[in-house]
Amino acid sequence: MTHNRWGFPDLGLGLGLRTTHYAHILSQNPDIGFFEILTENYLDTGGRPAYVLDQIAERYPTVMHGVSMSIGSTDPIDLAYLAKVKRLAERTGALWVSDHICWTGVLGRNTHDLLPLPYTEESLAHAVGRIKIVQELLERPLVLENPSTYLEFADNEMTEWEFVERLSEEADCGLLFDVNNVYVSAYNHGYDPVTYIDAIPADRVCQYHLAGHTNKGTHIIDTHSDHVVGPVWELFGHTIRTVGLRATLLEWDADIPPFEVVHREVLKADAWRLREVADAA
Amino acid sequence: MRHERTELPRLQRWMQEVVVYPGAVEEAIASPRAAREIAAARLEEVVTPSHSMTSSERLGVYHGMYLLRMQEALEADYPVIRYHLGDHRFALLVRDYVQRYPSTSYTLNRLGDHLPRFFLDEPDRPHAAFLHDLARLELAMTEVFDEEETPALGVDAVQAVDPAAWETARLRPIRALRLLALEHAVIPHLSAFHDDRPAPEPRRVPCWIALYRRDYSVLRLELGRSEHDLLSWLVSGTPLGEALAAAAGATRGPRQQARIFRWFRTWISEGLFSAIEV
Repeated sequence: MTHNRWGFPDLGLGLGLRTTHYAHILSQNPDIGFFEILTENYLDTGGRPAYVLDQIAERYPTVMHGVSMSIGSTDPIDLAYLAKVKRLAERTGALWVSDHICWTGVLGRNTHDLLPLPYTEESLAHAVGRIKIVQELLERPLVLENPSTYLEFADNEMTEWEFVERLSEEADCGLLFDVNNVYVSAYNHGYDPVTYIDAIPADRVCQYHLAGHTNKGTHIIDTHSDHVVGPVWELFGHTIRTVGLRATLLEWDADIPPFEVVHREVLKADAWRLREVADAA
Repeated sequence: MRHERTELPRLQRWMQEVVVYPGAVEEAIASPRAAREIAAARLEEVVTPSHSMTSSERLGVYHGMYLLRMQEALEADYPVIRYHLGDHRFALLVRDYVQRYPSTSYTLNRLGDHLPRFFLDEPDRPHAAFLHDLARLELAMTEVFDEEETPALGVDAVQAVDPAAWETARLRPIRALRLLALEHAVIPHLSAFHDDRPAPEPRRVPCWIALYRRDYSVLRLELGRSEHDLLSWLVSGTPLGEALAAAAGATRGPRQQARIFRWFRTWISEGLFSAIEV
């Protein structure tokens, strides 16, 4: 079984920490491998979210997942933001810090969307340079997630998986491999998701994401609003056979059901993980 | 024929202009600001169509989600304004607001910071002055929710102060405290929202409110004008003796003293102060 090169542990199954579940988690101490916190939700708050986060971080391993690093943007890097990210990581003892392969805005604006990069030599070199700077500032490897995308640029010079592979190698960063995102993008752009998975450098993968989505017929949107669909579970099985076992997190961000429902959903991943362990033995 | 490659900075400026445009996606692509970066006629040279969607439909996925995301964020911070306006008028408000005050922060929690200012900018908007007050109330509630936690002053600490030191003592407020002097009765609208009752007609009646946090809950005290003024002076660092003299004014007397004593007792028990500097 290949492990990631930084020795980040397989934390088992985790969930995204969401406000609606605070009370349940604090009172019930559910048996869960880890929590992933949305970085930006905790950078500036000293109120209840910070109070709850401190307690969760004492009880569970935590990892940080951001949406505003805008690593592919042509705007200057936001140094004040990175300083806050670093402080939060130190405060929570986050095992790793992740964000997305995307850009979120330019000209000082933030659209708060994970906008797609063209897969060109120009954007690759641009993103690689910025990742190296960010890693120096954070003093830790940055872990980046493959995005869900809804369009492709005519200027693309390589496939998304080639871009992701080269980005991670040239910037020497980690990957958060979102299996649902691969399914969504493959549906939207008409490629084989297995080809994508088989091309991912296993030793750079630190974590997996799973989520539900919304199929609009002509395209799929990554809404994180439902159960994980069967084909995504199948792809997850293929991923852990190819890449290996990693900390696996379920994202559920819209129409969030009670904690027990979300917990049961992520526990489904156990069957796939156990099968992989049995096959390996 | 090979098309001209679009450099990354231009591509990003163009896509952002399209995504944040307030009209339909086709209008966004043809808008002067987007067309200054990439001509609408070149669309398919930039974004390829898919097996099921045109280039503009694919861009439209991002364009369509932008305002919904902004609306969701502002609704989280301004639920009473949304309740007062209803879904449609709130959506129009968000569309106009983010054109003037787009997000420039890494967090959507700051998106609504300029909403009170926005209503001042637009005095001809229906009930603009009332909405300005309501926005100030809701913004202050958000600020109080997120402020740094500071321990509240206990009764013991108050009793330990040498009586001779009170005249020049200054009271330091907790960070999670905001004082509001508003021109409209906003509390009935807050109550209507919480009780899911129809919102009343806006009324121009002055009100004074202290918003503060205790045990991580945002609470409020409805104040009289004199009580608000005294509290404001203290919060701004005015020494106690000076603030009391200003508050008492021409009405110095036992009844006024009793009222001030009652206010102090409430402020301390509600935990509005974190320290006494003597």
